[in-house]
Amino acid sequence: MSRGFKRSGRGAERRFVATLDPLERQIVASVMEQVHDLLEPPDRPDTGDSVFDDLVAGLDLGSTEGAGAAEVEDLADRDPALTRLLPSANREDEAAATEFRRLTEGGLRHRKALALAASVAALRGDTDRVVLDEAGARAFLTALTDVRLVLGERLDLRTDEDLELLEQAASSLDDDEPLVHAIALYDFLTWLQESLAGALLRG
Amino acid sequence: MSLAPVTEEVVVPEGDVAPDTPWVTIVWNDPVNLMSYVTYVLQQQFGYGRAKAEKLMMQVHSEGRAVVSNGPREAMEADTEALHGWGLWATFQKDS
Repeated sequence: MSRGFKRSGRGAERRFVATLDPLERQIVASVMEQVHDLLEPPDRPDTGDSVFDDLVAGLDLGSTEGAGAAEVEDLADRDPALTRLLPSANREDEAAATEFRRLTEGGLRHRKALALAASVAALRGDTDRVVLDEAGARAFLTALTDVRLVLGERLDLRTDEDLELLEQAASSLDDDEPLVHAIALYDFLTWLQESLAGALLRG
Repeated sequence: MSLAPVTEEVVVPEGDVAPDTPWVTIVWNDPVNLMSYVTYVLQQQFGYGRAKAEKLMMQVHSEGRAVVSNGPREAMEADTEALHGWGLWATFQKDS
C-alpha cells in the first residue's frame, strides 16, 4: 500500500517519509532520469567547432561560457519540454532574455540535474520507505516539478482545464493505450508532489 | 475592491525618471504547478508569510500573473533565475 509523504521527527531530526512499492519507485526514478538526461545529455554531441572547443564543452567547468552559449543558438530547434524547463525570462526584450539565458542556463541545468540525480538515488534504496531530510525533500519537490512540467508539455497541457478534458477523452480508451498510461503517471506524480508540498508547508 | 472615487492629489515629480526605477519579477500561471507548491516556493524564496504567499498564488491562479517582487534589475534577474530553478514560469521587466 502506497503512502504519500508525511513529516516525522523534529528539528534536525525532521524527515519526510513516503512508502512506495518497487514498481512505483522504478517508474518515478526512470522518468526522473529521462528528465535529467534532457537537461544534461550523457554524451555531449560534437559541436562541429575546433577540437579545443569540443574538449571544453566536454569538461564540467560549472560555467556557461562553453556548452551553454553554443546551445542557446539553436533555441528554435529545441525540445519544447526543455524550453518549458528553461523558459524565456523576459517577454518584452529579446536581447535581455538572450543575455539572461547565456548567463544562467548552464547553472540552472546543472542544479536541476543534481536535484534529479539525488532524488533518483533516494528512490533506489533497498526498502519501500523513501526517507528524505529537509534538503533532500526540497530537491525531490523540484525534481517532481520538472518531471511534471515535461510530462505536461508532452500531454500538451496549456490551460487549467486541459487535464480534465484530456481525462474525459481518455476515459473511452483501452487501459493499455499510451495516453492512459501517461495520464495515470501524471496523476500519480501530482499526488506524490501534493503530499510532499503539503508536508513541507506544515513544517 | 473599493469603488470609492480617488480624491487624493497625485504629485508627479518633474524631470527624468529616477535611474533606479524599480523592476519587477512576475510569475505567470501554468497548468502544471500546484497551488500548494507555488505557495511553498513564494514562502521559501522571499520569506513571505503564509497569508501573503497564498494571496499572490491566488492572484497568479485567477488573474494569470502576479508581481512577486520588485527592486533593482540585478535583484529581479536573480529572483527570476531562482524561480526558474523552482520550475515556476517567471520573468523580469521594468515596472510599468
